[in-house]
Amino acid sequence: MNERYSRQILFPGIGKEGQEKISGKHVLIIGAGALGAGNAEVLVRSGIGKVTIIDRDYVEESNLQRQQLYTEEDVAEKLPKAVAAKKHLAMINSAVKVQAHIGDATPEVLEDLTRGVDLIMDATDNFETRMVINDVSQKLQIPWIYGACVGSFGMSFTIVPGKTPCLNCLLRTIPLQGLTCDTGGIISPAVQMVIAHQTAEALKILAEDWDTLRKTFVSFDLWRNQYTSLKMSKAINKDCLSCGSNPTYPYLEHENRTKTAVLCGRDTVQIRPSASGEISLEQLARQLSSLGYKTKGNPYLLSVELEGRERIVIFKDGRALIHGTKDLTRAKTVYQKILG
Amino acid sequence: MNKVLFFAHLRDAVGKESVMIDAAGNTVAELKAKLTKVYKLPKMDVVMTAINEEFAQNDEMIQEGDTIAFIPPVSGG
Repeated sequence: MNERYSRQILFPGIGKEGQEKISGKHVLIIGAGALGAGNAEVLVRSGIGKVTIIDRDYVEESNLQRQQLYTEEDVAEKLPKAVAAKKHLAMINSAVKVQAHIGDATPEVLEDLTRGVDLIMDATDNFETRMVINDVSQKLQIPWIYGACVGSFGMSFTIVPGKTPCLNCLLRTIPLQGLTCDTGGIISPAVQMVIAHQTAEALKILAEDWDTLRKTFVSFDLWRNQYTSLKMSKAINKDCLSCGSNPTYPYLEHENRTKTAVLCGRDTVQIRPSASGEISLEQLARQLSSLGYKTKGNPYLLSVELEGRERIVIFKDGRALIHGTKDLTRAKTVYQKILG
Repeated sequence: MNKVLFFAHLRDAVGKESVMIDAAGNTVAELKAKLTKVYKLPKMDVVMTAINEEFAQNDEMIQEGDTIAFIPPVSGG
């Protein structure tokens, strides 16, 4: 072990003691897309004890430009990302236990997977799951590291229960129309920069060097050459329902979840988002058609042809019908690709 | 006067990285409303705001000379 991790042990922030701590830790990675694959690779190479990775999607050609673990072979085999990630991680470091879960990160599943882990890495592509992660983190008092990117822009923030504000303090509500990689594009360096911020923080937590954690919210734009680091102490909300004095963990409750239902007799799934508010269909139509999607709409709804065989019809209140599938998980994936 | 910085898609919507505007005496929410009108910005209610590199709530009052930054949370990953 010493030779393999010698350069990391030489680094004073970790040392022999830190490496021993790291080697006994278990990390849960939610999502095995660009951030998930990158975070997993760094942590597995660093010699953590165990990693659990959950994802509901499979590897597609458009992933290969930035999702560093995957290959053309994975695309040809349409391997679930969790399975493909496990396969490649095992070849990188056979000493690390890797547990792969194919499926949706629902509140029940997340609460179950989180028990006993030391850290949760956010590698999801939507705010609904992040709010669930946030509530589970607070309920079980386990830190998590938010990371997200789109275009050349990225951000990260480390959330430690009892010490920092939580995501619910910052956002107060789920943003209904967040830009995603499928609507705003993405370049690999933005992904890598988020991974670098997330994994540096992860190593500090795993080596138990708590005092060195970054307390600021970082965001950057690698194309526009912007970098900011915000002090966050004022963001703490003592009445926060996730981390305040009387927490109810609202995102673990049923009403606040995206509701899906297969429409009877039709190859269609309906999705009703947990966030309430109005979507600007005009703006969404412009954005999607500039990306080459075929869209057709009226003041009440927008119909979008997707690459596969699905068609999604989005209503102003965020409700959507996904035609061409009966698979609830697939429908949710399609929905969140477009609406975040 | 106040310097207002825009990040990510807000920068594209405004067409430049920053603008100078007199916002002293306004709350963050009032400034958001003003900018939404002038630049036809997408919804600003969940955009994070910083005053002088410190997170600010919607009801925080802006002072003369403060630098304000608007950072939209993104969800990609």
